[in-house]
Amino acid sequence: MSESDPKPTTPADDWMTSRRTFLRAAGFTFASAMITGCQSSPIHHAIPYLVQPEDVVPGRPVYYAGTCSGCSSGCGVLVKNRDGRPIKIEGYTDHALSQGGVCAVGQAHLLGLYDNLRFSGPRRDGQPVEWTDVDAEIAAQIAKVKAEGGAVRYLSGTVSGPASRTVVEKFLGGFADARWVMYDPISSSAILDSHERTHGARVLPRYRFEKADVVVSFGADFLGTWTSPVEHTAGYRARRTPDDPAVPMSYHVQFESRLSTTGGKADRRFRVAPSEMGALVSGLAALVARKAGTELAGAAAPAAHAEALAEVAERLWAAKGKCLVVSGSQDVQVQALCNFINHLLGNYDQTLDVTAPSNQRLGSDSALAALLDELRGGRVKALFIDGVDPVYDLGLATELADAIRRVPLVVNFASRNDETAVASKFVCPDHHALESWTDSEPVRGIVNLSQPATRPLLATRSVLESLSAWMGEPRSILDIVRSTWETKVFPRQTAQPVFLTFWERSVQDGFCTVTPEPVAASAFNLAAVKPAGEAHAAAAGQLEVVVYPTVGMLDGRHAYNAWLHEMPDPMTRVTWDSYACLAPATAKRLGLSEGDVVRVAAAEPGASVECSVVIQPGQHEGVVSLPMGYGSRLSERFANVGPQWLESRTAVGDDGRVGRHAGPFVTMREGARLFDGRPVQVSPTGRSRPLAAVQLHHALTAPEELDGLGFERRDIVRQTTFAELHDEKSHGGHGEHHGGPSELWPQDHPVTGPKWGMSIDLSACTGCSACVVACQVENNVPVVGRDEVMRHREMHWIRIDRYYEGDGDDVSFQPMMCQQCGVAGCETVCPALATLHSEDGLNQQVYNRCVGTRYCANNCAYKVRRFNWFDYPHADRFENLVLNPDVVVRSRGVMEKCSFCVQRIQEARIAAKARGEAIADGAIQPACQQTCPARAITFGDLNDPNSALSKANHGRRSYRVLEEVGTEPSVTYRAVVRNREGGEGHHG
Amino acid sequence: MAEVASALRLPLVASDTSLGQVTRDVCAPMEGKPTWMWWAAFLVSSATMLVGATAVTYQVATGIGTWGLNRTVGWAFDITNFVFWIGIGHAGTLISAILFLFRQRWRTAVNRAAEAMTLFAVMCAGIFPIIHMGRPWMFFFVIPYPNTRGPLWINFRSPLVWDFFAISTYGLISAVFWYIGLIPDLATIRDREKPGLRKTIFAILSLGWNGSFRTWHHYELVYLLLAGLATPLVLSVHSIVSTDFATAVIPGWHTTIFPPYFVAGAIFSGMAMVLTLMIIVRKVMRLENYLTKRHIDAMCKLVIATGGMVGIAYATEFFIAMYSANAYEQFVFMNRALGPMKWAYWTMVCCNVITPQFLWFKKLRSNLVVVFILTIFVNIGMWFERFVIIVTSLHRDFLPSSWATYAPTSIEIATLVGSFGLFFTAFLLFCRVLPVIAMGEVKGVLTFGRRTGGEAK
Repeated sequence: MSESDPKPTTPADDWMTSRRTFLRAAGFTFASAMITGCQSSPIHHAIPYLVQPEDVVPGRPVYYAGTCSGCSSGCGVLVKNRDGRPIKIEGYTDHALSQGGVCAVGQAHLLGLYDNLRFSGPRRDGQPVEWTDVDAEIAAQIAKVKAEGGAVRYLSGTVSGPASRTVVEKFLGGFADARWVMYDPISSSAILDSHERTHGARVLPRYRFEKADVVVSFGADFLGTWTSPVEHTAGYRARRTPDDPAVPMSYHVQFESRLSTTGGKADRRFRVAPSEMGALVSGLAALVARKAGTELAGAAAPAAHAEALAEVAERLWAAKGKCLVVSGSQDVQVQALCNFINHLLGNYDQTLDVTAPSNQRLGSDSALAALLDELRGGRVKALFIDGVDPVYDLGLATELADAIRRVPLVVNFASRNDETAVASKFVCPDHHALESWTDSEPVRGIVNLSQPATRPLLATRSVLESLSAWMGEPRSILDIVRSTWETKVFPRQTAQPVFLTFWERSVQDGFCTVTPEPVAASAFNLAAVKPAGEAHAAAAGQLEVVVYPTVGMLDGRHAYNAWLHEMPDPMTRVTWDSYACLAPATAKRLGLSEGDVVRVAAAEPGASVECSVVIQPGQHEGVVSLPMGYGSRLSERFANVGPQWLESRTAVGDDGRVGRHAGPFVTMREGARLFDGRPVQVSPTGRSRPLAAVQLHHALTAPEELDGLGFERRDIVRQTTFAELHDEKSHGGHGEHHGGPSELWPQDHPVTGPKWGMSIDLSACTGCSACVVACQVENNVPVVGRDEVMRHREMHWIRIDRYYEGDGDDVSFQPMMCQQCGVAGCETVCPALATLHSEDGLNQQVYNRCVGTRYCANNCAYKVRRFNWFDYPHADRFENLVLNPDVVVRSRGVMEKCSFCVQRIQEARIAAKARGEAIADGAIQPACQQTCPARAITFGDLNDPNSALSKANHGRRSYRVLEEVGTEPSVTYRAVVRNREGGEGHHG
Repeated sequence: MAEVASALRLPLVASDTSLGQVTRDVCAPMEGKPTWMWWAAFLVSSATMLVGATAVTYQVATGIGTWGLNRTVGWAFDITNFVFWIGIGHAGTLISAILFLFRQRWRTAVNRAAEAMTLFAVMCAGIFPIIHMGRPWMFFFVIPYPNTRGPLWINFRSPLVWDFFAISTYGLISAVFWYIGLIPDLATIRDREKPGLRKTIFAILSLGWNGSFRTWHHYELVYLLLAGLATPLVLSVHSIVSTDFATAVIPGWHTTIFPPYFVAGAIFSGMAMVLTLMIIVRKVMRLENYLTKRHIDAMCKLVIATGGMVGIAYATEFFIAMYSANAYEQFVFMNRALGPMKWAYWTMVCCNVITPQFLWFKKLRSNLVVVFILTIFVNIGMWFERFVIIVTSLHRDFLPSSWATYAPTSIEIATLVGSFGLFFTAFLLFCRVLPVIAMGEVKGVLTFGRRTGGEAK
């Protein structure tokens, strides 16, 4: 057949096999068989569903409504579940309390589910045993205690769930002498005790910041670590949106001794030593009383801040019924004075709710004190410890551990081998909250119901199941919760007439609203209010200590959590350590600089700790503040966290733990645990231990050595005042938009479809760092450890830059992530085209094309690019279950950075395309925006003039950081607004 | 007609050496047993090279994290070393190409060694852009090789791609130029060797050189053309290297003065390095007659000139920063001089601006010990110049929140030291196996058999 004689090929021709083609095919087949046969990869058995459950599509996430168990605030969450495993905690917009926010701890506590060092089953004397053996032994011992009528004590944190309360009460009801002692490691006991005195009911009011025109806080860090930070942030934020002149901005005054995130947001802030706080509150009470026409007998005018107090009283009186005075003090006297002020101002039932009060902290320090006495006296015969670690929390390590060891029956429900678990004979580990049915009632009338988001991963057992088993009537947790809800919760509502529908609805919603149980409050008892005297001020040469919870570590219950250790503290920006904060003047006086090790020591009962100094502007000069939650057994696991190489250094201190325990400085006085005011001696040790801080320069002005050369404050964070913002004549407190030089060239990649952008309201941002952890979870950002952070190699894709203004009374937080520049410095310099512009305006990083020259990071004006310096450990296969399968785990040597959660953009795009619609505004929420308790982040389409983002960008406060560089960033910021007189929004 | 040698100038080759003597002198180090000094130097430098090789192996196996870099300072020792070595290479090309075109005949004694130095310096320099990558095994991603990925190729806008072209061209041209220049000498050695392996090798390498007039004619024409070809490279390579910084937005990098400033700096450092090496070589190899004080003197003058240019560049940068009214720019320069890395800045200024001023004095210029010490300082200063440009610009840029510090790790220091080890090892081997002085050219400038101008009349 010649070439010139074409013939249509028929299928039959294809099958014609010559000897050559046969040999070729045979050879290929043989070679392929050889090659494939050589591979050593394991065979994975994938078993398909025999019966495909409805709505379960492999690879598509399912969201379950639940309750956050990170602390006792009871925020609602949505648990994102992929292929049977929870991989992300999402904010739950419809929840009555949290309103869509989740804090950093809430985001991070997911990691605890996949913790390899969680107890995998019950233990006796530290040895693993079977549940049946434990049950038999405990039941026998319980019977013995019952027969002897010995004292039984149930020690727990705040427990508010109807099912939990019913079962525990029933369990304790079987004993002649049983008592339930609740305490909160971060105690608010004085607030409850003061209400018992003034209102006749031991309740914690529910604070309604959204209703307050004036907020006065005496040391209450209500945006950070107080009773319910996410709920309070949502409320506070509602009155701090300055864009509408018709909605007046609230006025916030903070008196505090250390610098809290709340204080940094205040319109006016005063530094007050803990010992002065009582007199100050008394002074304000006297001023308000005078205005109300009564008199507070015996109140002396405070020496300091008299003028400020008069102004505050004026403001409060003008906002009667619409203001709020709160205090973080643990002095019942001081709290009673606050109640008195709120009472005189008519705030009860307006901004403080005691008819439907909060159950978020129910602990009683006096009950705890009584229990400690009983334990010391050896009078307790059986002790059940549920969800708390008293040996660590109370800072009485050996003494309390010995007392607990002397108790004949100690049962601990701890999940990890913490200080108390070591001293407990029996450990019967509870499920992780995501594995179990749980309920809680954080505010009376709002009852949370949380379903399991996965089956129990380890041989743990719910506390309620354990208690039922020991009562001799073993029931499943679902049965317990459901039956309790049928009898205790269902009757409290009328909306759903049938229990089944009520139950189904509540499971789906994760909470329900019912009639609150009435509070038996009496009329305000004026007799309970007495002026608080001047506390003992520290002697000369001594400082007053303030032990405070940090946003990440709280009381240390999550000290096992690497994400929280790696999260920089919003204020000090330090990771992986505790420290002693000193005011700049104090440090100077003591001849100390950052990183110098000091010994902080107190007498009677002796307490001493050695840690590095952090110089903290905005702190009172007579104060040394120590963060709580560090130095626990749980942090011993971090000795080898992060990459290990020739020059790597460990994350733990000499004692094998992360940071030092500040608990010993907390004292018990008059039935309340006092966290501040104790006089201490601070002495230099002459040694130095640098801290792993992610920020070295803390102001927008030039550093000290270049001061005086005329460098102005960099215009990176803009500030204005409410008055100026709405003054037509001014330009809204920020400079004119600079015309970028980019107009010289035509757009080389015009975006015709959606162009994704973001707007961040710096006025709303509280620096809480929830976004930092949310991003870490969503995007599989590795934990690098203390040494790497010290080498400035943290991997977080979003960071919260914190700048002190002036002498540190104003603080601005600026979340900073990839600005997705339109004319990106990184894109032009990459030799391999590994970072490119997408058609929807994103600046994309192609990991498998990246060779790691780091040129892009050098040329990034915002320094948001992160480099994989090592292969970060992913050896823990259990922990790897937390990884998001939608995001690749980066290998060493490649650059990475914020992607605007491109996986979420694609998910929304595919969903919209399937429906044949355009992507709706708000359908895409990056992880940072989704979790933000302050709703500070808006994401959307810059090309859509009607998107929420475009509207936000048109506000007078909008500006872009480093616009003059000409990078055309897609992220805009909205200026910080303070409600105060004067121009620039600065103090003075 | 023989050339006239001026009595007013110092002779290019001291003493009345005969042509045969030149051959014997130059070939002596290659033919005898190496001296104990050579062995000592070789052992030290190869041991140092091994230390560097170990460090690089460890770094490639473990990760760039073994260097002291961080999220703010993404380049430090790596690119400093790279630019430093590229700069060192420049003197070789300058001497062999530009001075050749300008008929500066004093170059004949130093050009061979200077060109070899260029090659070895480019070798050292070439290592750093590869090992500084996070994934060095993927280095070919920056090379425009044919592939099946469609539009995904290299980024022609990236100065690192320009670098690849500039350096590979430079390396190639330098190697060819050097080799062409070697051919007549290789033939000389071939002719001196007894039959054996060495003779065979040199016979192959000398490409059948027969010393005929036609061969010489072709040779000189090729050499001239190559000199013309290499000349723009003297200016282009370092100009392109400087665009790594000049095209970036970082204050302190984003500067139009960089190309001439870098070229001047490169020649400055290169001359200093040639001087350092020549002063050692003439002593160790007993070549005092060929590498005379006149050579040293001429090169010292070049050092003064280029040093002055570098000094002016430093001043200009400060002036422009002030004149620009750009606060970030002003800050970066004040921060260089007064910030936490001011020690590096002032080291640079002292070594590069003050040191060359001593060379104005003929007395100091003709004291080889002084010149040697001064050139060492210039070498140090020029290394610090690159360090200052790279690190002090990066460590405090736009957003104060990201300001950071930088300190090298032991691995980085070992890598830098190792690159010197490689350089000296290569140079010492070169001294043993190839003629350090271009015999063919030197013979052309001998006073031997030549009448002396001025006396005849």
